[in-house]
Order: sequence, then structure tokens, then C-alpha cells
Amino acid sequence: MAGEKLFKDEATEEKGERARMASFVGAMAIADLVKTTLGPKGMDKILQSTGRGHSVTVTNDGATILKSLHIDNPAAKVLIDISKVQDDEVGDGTTSVVVLAGELLREAEKLVGSKIHPMTIISGYRMAAECARRALLDRVKDNKDDAEKFRSDLMRIAMTTLSSKILSQDKEHFAKLAVDAVMKLKGSTNLESIQIIKKAGGSLKDSFLDEGFILDKKIGLGQPKRIENANILVANTAMDTDKVKIYGARVRVDSMAKVAQIEGAEKEKMREKVQKIIGHGINCFVNRQLIYNFPEELFADAGILAIEHADFDGIERLALVTGGEIASTFDNPESVKLGHCKLIEEIMIGEDKLIHFSGVEMGQACTIVLRGASFHVLDEAERSLHDALCVLSQTVNDSRVLLGGGWPEMVMAKAVDELARKTPGKKSHAIEAFSRALVAIPTTIADNAGLDSAELVAQLRAEHHKEDSNAGIDVITGSLGDMSELGISEAFKVKQAVLLSATEAAEMILRVDEIITCAPRRREDRM
Amino acid sequence: MAATAVQAPRSGKTESYVDNKRKDDIRMANIKAARSVADAVRTSLGPKGMDKMISTASGEVIITNDGATILNKMEVLQPAAKMLVELSKSQDVVAGDGTTTVVVIAGAFLKQCQTLLHAGIHPTVVSDSIYKVSLKSVEVLTAMAVPVELSDRDSLVKSASTSLNSKVVSQYSSLLAPIAVDSVLSVVDPAKPDLVDLRDVKIVKKLGGTVDDTELVKGLVFDKKVSHAAGGPTRVENAKIAVIQFQISPPKTDIEQSIVVSDYTQMDRILKEERNYILSMIKKIKATGCNVLLIQKSILRDAVTDLSLHYLAKAKILVVKDVERDDIEFITKTLNCLPIANIEHFRAEKLGYADVVEEVSLGDGKIVKITGIKDMGRTTTVLVRGSNQLVLDEAERSLHDALCVVRCLVNKRFLIAGGGAPEIELSRQLGAWSKVLQGMEGFCVKSFAEALEVVPYTLAENAGLNPITIVTELRNRHAQGELNAGINVRKGQITNILEENVVQPLLVSTSAITLAAECVRMILKIDDIVTVR
Repeated sequence: MAGEKLFKDEATEEKGERARMASFVGAMAIADLVKTTLGPKGMDKILQSTGRGHSVTVTNDGATILKSLHIDNPAAKVLIDISKVQDDEVGDGTTSVVVLAGELLREAEKLVGSKIHPMTIISGYRMAAECARRALLDRVKDNKDDAEKFRSDLMRIAMTTLSSKILSQDKEHFAKLAVDAVMKLKGSTNLESIQIIKKAGGSLKDSFLDEGFILDKKIGLGQPKRIENANILVANTAMDTDKVKIYGARVRVDSMAKVAQIEGAEKEKMREKVQKIIGHGINCFVNRQLIYNFPEELFADAGILAIEHADFDGIERLALVTGGEIASTFDNPESVKLGHCKLIEEIMIGEDKLIHFSGVEMGQACTIVLRGASFHVLDEAERSLHDALCVLSQTVNDSRVLLGGGWPEMVMAKAVDELARKTPGKKSHAIEAFSRALVAIPTTIADNAGLDSAELVAQLRAEHHKEDSNAGIDVITGSLGDMSELGISEAFKVKQAVLLSATEAAEMILRVDEIITCAPRRREDRM
Repeated sequence: MAATAVQAPRSGKTESYVDNKRKDDIRMANIKAARSVADAVRTSLGPKGMDKMISTASGEVIITNDGATILNKMEVLQPAAKMLVELSKSQDVVAGDGTTTVVVIAGAFLKQCQTLLHAGIHPTVVSDSIYKVSLKSVEVLTAMAVPVELSDRDSLVKSASTSLNSKVVSQYSSLLAPIAVDSVLSVVDPAKPDLVDLRDVKIVKKLGGTVDDTELVKGLVFDKKVSHAAGGPTRVENAKIAVIQFQISPPKTDIEQSIVVSDYTQMDRILKEERNYILSMIKKIKATGCNVLLIQKSILRDAVTDLSLHYLAKAKILVVKDVERDDIEFITKTLNCLPIANIEHFRAEKLGYADVVEEVSLGDGKIVKITGIKDMGRTTTVLVRGSNQLVLDEAERSLHDALCVVRCLVNKRFLIAGGGAPEIELSRQLGAWSKVLQGMEGFCVKSFAEALEVVPYTLAENAGLNPITIVTELRNRHAQGELNAGINVRKGQITNILEENVVQPLLVSTSAITLAAECVRMILKIDDIVTVR
């Protein structure tokens, strides 16, 4: 039997214990890597690219770190995936989900060591997760009906999310920005109409929210710099002469005058096109492609503001927010939907001039202008703000709110512990282990803040033994605090997603008993 | 060189996990790397700071004293060191001056961080204290500042010359400072008094002469020759100027074309047609009374041919060719005219008017000057001269810094003393404040207060004075309530620096502190370098 080769050359197979160990180790390594970024006093990482330019990113965002890692271990990849899903679904808690999954596996490893079958562990984990979810559901608050309170809930959530990021020092400012922006969306989770513009210089505090839309382009020469009640035509069309696309097409003439005529005809074609565009009754024309000198002058003569070479993202968004459509032919003006806005003007941010469209058709559109010392700061600020916006927009739809600061984990742990006591059989070990894994999150938060985690978590557990306690870890003072008084809140949706996807990921990795690595595809063959 | 000292630690390609034990080492390595960058530029601080000679990869040599330029050319690899380079750039964007100061302050902060971390203080506590220090500093600095009016030209000139004093061109500061002030003030739009777009100030460099010959031109200057073909005019009075974006040359279509010539007579005819074509264009131009043509460079076909130049010369039209498209906006704004993209649109109302357009010989080169422009836009041109390219470049950089300084004053109309006075006062007040704070923060704030003394210390050191005596005396004078006592580098002693006219805009000092603090906090918060794709 031995010696019989089942797989191709170089393909490897790892079985049973070894396979499980490999996945445990890989998953835990990933969890440990991002562990230090958890919580308000978590640290940042430098991501140094090995690619061209050795670009450097400084970040605290779990998903960003994990996304860019080189990973060989299959189990580790599973964790990276759940972090990505978490990012797409709810936008925040990307680190928490990986840390929790890692802790669940760490506990599972011990249980497997004491000869408990993985399937028993899995069913224990399932029961525990269900019980934890119910425990959270019992304690959620929902202030949807009270607009005033709901807004303060949103503020709290935004501040809690931001407090673990680079924006923590100005979190009130940014929380207000984010909440205002999300409230404008009126319930839609389409974050596209919130535009984020980054401009180096100034400090983070100078960032501001602007209603309307800002385009990072210049207005053409000799054209009006300010237009009220603008009718905007957004287009993607070539504004040079129509070229004959057939290769090798050429014109034969026998005199210079005829060449001049052709040139004149080309110009005339261009003029016609411009006239057609003007015929739409517009006073602002935004094109994705270049507008050459000649049409630019024609537009200037007609008193139309023409913006050339807007980026694709820019014009799509502009079309969206002004309620227009991107046009590329101009033959029937009736069928083209124009965009409208109240005022177009040139504004100056830092050293740059930008074009500002205000009073746009789509009320929910707004722009957040970020300022910061360097582009590292700006990039990270954008990521943080994006997280906050995601969470907020989710919360607007699902307004259930929990407290933060390790409070939900302790509530769940308590409920799960009780379940363990009631459950007969080996499963109860697994349920107990689940509760230990949950407690690891407040432990990590305390550890990262340089606090005595063992002491704090023990105190917290004692505090939670009372009914309806609001205790959590107050990282700033380094002691226990009442989370509802401190105003630390989290969205229920985020916590639920963390709990469920971490459990699922752990379960998936636990089920593995064999890893088959396929033979790498040979490259030399092609050479 | 620092660049080699801060080589990044190369790690294996598949490295994905770093042991916890290494985390302190990474933070220390980052701090070290960043500090070595700061040390590299330290000696160029202050009026007696030294210059650096940089030879770039392409063999070009740059001599400069400008922190931002030095760092920019250093090509550091280590990520933390890169952040310091970025820091200097941001200061350049925000304030335009103080690019060395900001890095030196960051370096001093980092040095204190090292000691604090060794003492076992958690990085987040250190980082929070830095934040508090920066907030408090802005408060203290604002309290020290003296308001300034834009009409107070003297104060503006003083602050511009403070900035220029630390540069290679310091001996010309009495000449360059007023130029900087005048040029910025002339572009301030009364409608928006807080905004200055420095793009409205054009700096034209011309080799030859000395920096002394630098002048402010109320009008336009082109570093170009008037086209001399066929003896066209080189000086035109009562000029009517057209900026054209079309070409005066035989027609060319976008579609490929060829002219079929089948016999000799046809050739003649074609030549004649070509001549007529150009002549008719020039007649149209002449008909509007235009006598100066600025022609935009064209890549698709020749903007002018010898033939058209000849006819233009005959029509007594002065021609400047190959004007860059990017400059067109500035030119049209200055001349208060509109660019003309087609001969059909050549109309008199699109022209600009000026008293004199002339070609002036400067050294071995020639420039074109347009002066006495009617209804001139809010723009200015500064013509910078220098005996060699290195001096010329440095003069331009210094002038840019001075312009930025004046711009800062327009944005935020407060002045503050220079010569290390604000830093030592900050250090004193923060030191006093730290005693009121409790716990670790008090300890951290105290050490950062000390760190700020690095600016006067370095100033004195670079000036060849005994830094310890100077700094202690300075401290003493400030303790006695002399808010504006600072180092007078020229006299080598401590004097009331406001009376010595060494002043700088408040914005430069405040942004230096806040930006340095922001950068140091970021470096402190990093505990790992992960290699990624």
C-alpha cells in the first residue's frame, strides 16, 4: 500500500491531527497579528509593499491589513475572507471577527487535546452562539421612534467606531460629519453619493462636510467662474474632429486650397457639434475627455462653463447627484436628461482650486473634504471615515443598539456560562470554552491599553453577575465604567455579524481533517 | 549618509507573522530611522545654518538650505523615515516655510519618546500627551502673537526677510523681501482678502547677472526671444496683443492627406496658394490692429513657418512663439484678453493692450517684457537673476519660501517673534503646566517641554555659539518675563528679538508644532511593519 502514489508529483497531503494543527496554527497566527490593533488604544501597522515604489501604508483597519498579506496557510485564508465579508457587509468589526475566530480555535485546540470529538465541539459552539445571540437581543435598545435619541445613538456609535482609529482625537467633529452625511442619505445604504475628497495640508480638524458636489478640475479659459441655476450636460465624447477610423484612409487633393477646405470642414464639424451641445440649452458642459482649444473658445463665446477631462468616477457621480445622464450623442436634445444645480462656483481648498456644485437635484449628495498632514494620514482617515459611514448607514436601517467597551461580550459570556451549566454531556465543555473565547475580547482591549487585564476582566465579570449591569472597560481611565453614561455604543448588526461569522469560520476550520495541496502549475512548460 | 543608515530591514517574502517580542524593537527602529533623518537636516536650521550639496541620480547637483528640498531628494526607504519626509512636505504645503524646523522638532520629540518608552510608559499615553502638548502650544503661541495689518508693509517685509536670512541668498534679503511682499500684496483679490493663489505670481529665472538684478515686473516676462526672422520689430509701443491657439502655417487636416502633383505648373500654383493662404490669415490679423502675437506651442504641426514669420515681420507684427499651453491661463489673466483658437474668431475685443512690448538683452540671453498693461489682471512676475544655475535655483526656492511667508500673513494676520523666542517660551510655559498635570501625562509633557529647547539650541550651535550658555541664559531671561528675548545670531547674544525685526508668521510656528506632533504620534502608534504585495 505504501509507495502507491495517489497524487501527482509535488502535490502533498496532510492528514488528521497534522492537518488540524496546521490550520489551528495558521488561523491563530493571523488572529495574533491583528490582535494588537483592537480597541481604542490599539496600535497601527506599517504595510510596506514589496512591489514597485515600496509604497507605505499606515493603518489600524483589520480588513486592510489582512487583505494585503501574503498568506500560504489555507486556514488563515478563511479568516481573511471572513474579515473581508465583514467589511463588505457591515464595514466595521473586521478585527474583532478575526480575533474572536482565533480565540474560538485556540479553545477548540485544547478541547481536541483532551479527546473531545470536533463534531461535539461544533455542536456546542452552535448552541452557544445561538444562546449568545438571544442574550444580546434581550438587551438591545431601539430608539427608532425618538428622532432626538436616535441621533444621539448614531453619534455615540460613530464616536465609538472612530475612537479606535486615527481620527480619535477629533472624533466628535468627525462623528458629527459622518452622522450628518448619513442622515442625508435618508435610509439608503448607497454610500456612493457621499464623496470623499482628500487634500493634503491643514490638519484633520479642518475637514468639513459640504452639501453638494466638488469636482477637482479647472474651469476653461475665459469662461464664467460662477453660474446660478445651472443646466448641466454630462458627456463622454471626443471633442476633437471626428476621425475616420479606417486605417490608411487618406485624402488625395491637388491643391493647397483644397487642404485648407478640408481643414475648414473639420473645424466646421467641430463647430456643429458644439452648436448641437449648446442647443441643449445648457450653461455648463462637463466632458470626460479633453476639450481642445477651439471648442473651448466656442463654449467661452457662448458663455458656457466647460470642464474637460473629468475622471470617470467624477462624471458618473456628477451625473448621479445632479440627476442627469451621461450623453455621448447630441442629435436629439429632447431625449438627453440634463442635470441641474443651483450654483456652480470655484472654491479654493488649501492651495488648489476646485469646482463646487451646490444645491444639486439629489438632496442626499454631499462631499466630505478631508485635510491632513500627509497622505498617510489622509488615506487612513478615509478608511476610518468609511468604516464609520458604513456602520451608520447600517444602523439607520436596523436601529438596534448595544453598549460597547466589552459589555456585549460579557453579557454573552454570562448567558453562555449559564447554558453550559444546564447542558449535560461533553457539549458543556465546548459551551464553556465559547464563553472563555468571548471574554478574550475585553481582555485584549485591556491588554492593548497597557492595563492589567486579568484584574479588570475579573472585576467586570463580578460586576456583570448583578442583573442589568452596564459595566464595561473604560480604557481612558483604566478602570470599569458605566458604558451608557460614557456614551459608548455599538450597532447590534455589527456585533451579531461578528458573532455569527466568527463561529461559522471556526466551525469550518474545525471540520477539516485533511489538507491537500495541489501540485503547482508548471511555468517552464510555456517557455 | 543617512539614507544608507536607514535602510529598511528586508524580510522574507512570505513573512506573515512577527513574534510579539519584536514589537518594541520595531518601534525603536522606526524612531531611530526617523531621528537620523532629522539629524541629517539639523545643521541647516537658522540664519547661520549650513547648506547641503545633493548630487542626484541623474548627475545633477543641487545646493540648498531648504529642508523640504533636501528631504525630498534624499530618497529614504525606511517607512518611518519616509513619514518624516512627508511631514516636511506638508509643512511646505501649509506654510511654505519652517520645513527644517518641523523635522527638527519631530526629531526632538522622538528622542524624548525613546526615553519615555524605555521608562515603561505605554505608547498611547505618550501619544496622548503629545497631542495635549500641541494643543497647549498653539494656545501659548497665539497668546504671544502680535496682530499685523496688511497695510503695515514694514512688518511684512521684516517677516519675509527673516525667512530669507537663513538661505544662501541672505545677503540679498533687503532686496528680495520687499519684492516678495509687493508681489503677494498685488495679487490679493479685494473680494476675497484671505486667499492668495501663489500661481498668480510667476517666477522667471534667467541666468546671468547677480541676484542683485532681480526685479519685480509689473507685467509679463517671457524667457524667450522675439522671433527674428526677416527683421521683424523687437519693440512695439501701444501694443495690441493677441494670444492665439491656432497655427499660422500651411493647412493640415486631421485625416491623412496628400497633394498629388502631376506637372511642373501645378507645383508653382501650390506654392502660390500656400503663400496666399498665409497672407490672408495675416491680413485678417492685421485688420484688427493687432501688432503683437503670442503663439501657443503646437505639437501637431508647426505653429509658424519661416514663410509666415516673414510675412508677419513685413506686417510689423512682433511674434513670440512656443508659448506653453499651461501658461496661457496666466497670460490671458494678466493681459486681460481672451485666447483665440481660430482665425475666424480673431476680433479686436479679444486683444489685450499694453504700452510697451520689447525685447531686452540680459547677459547672453534675451527676454521679452510686456509692461504698462491696460486693465492688468491681479498677477505679478518676478524676474530672478543669478550668476550660476545653482544660485538661481536656490534664489527661486528662497523667494518661494518668502512668498509663502507673506501668504501666511495674509491668511492669518499674526506675527510672532523669531530667533528661538517662541520655542523657549513654549518650553517654559509647558514646563509650568506639566506641574499641574497628574500622573504619567505630567511626566511626558515635561519631557516634551524640554524637547522644544532643541530649536534655540540648534540655532546657537549652528551659529557657532556655546549652546548651553545661550539656552540657559535665554531660559533665564524668559523666566524674568522677557517674552520676546531670543537669540540674535548676528550679534551672538540674547536680545529682544522683536526689536531686531526678526519676526515670522504665527502660522509657521503653530503648524510646525501641530504637524510634528501628528507625525510623531503616528510613528509611536505603529507596532509592526508588515510586508505586503
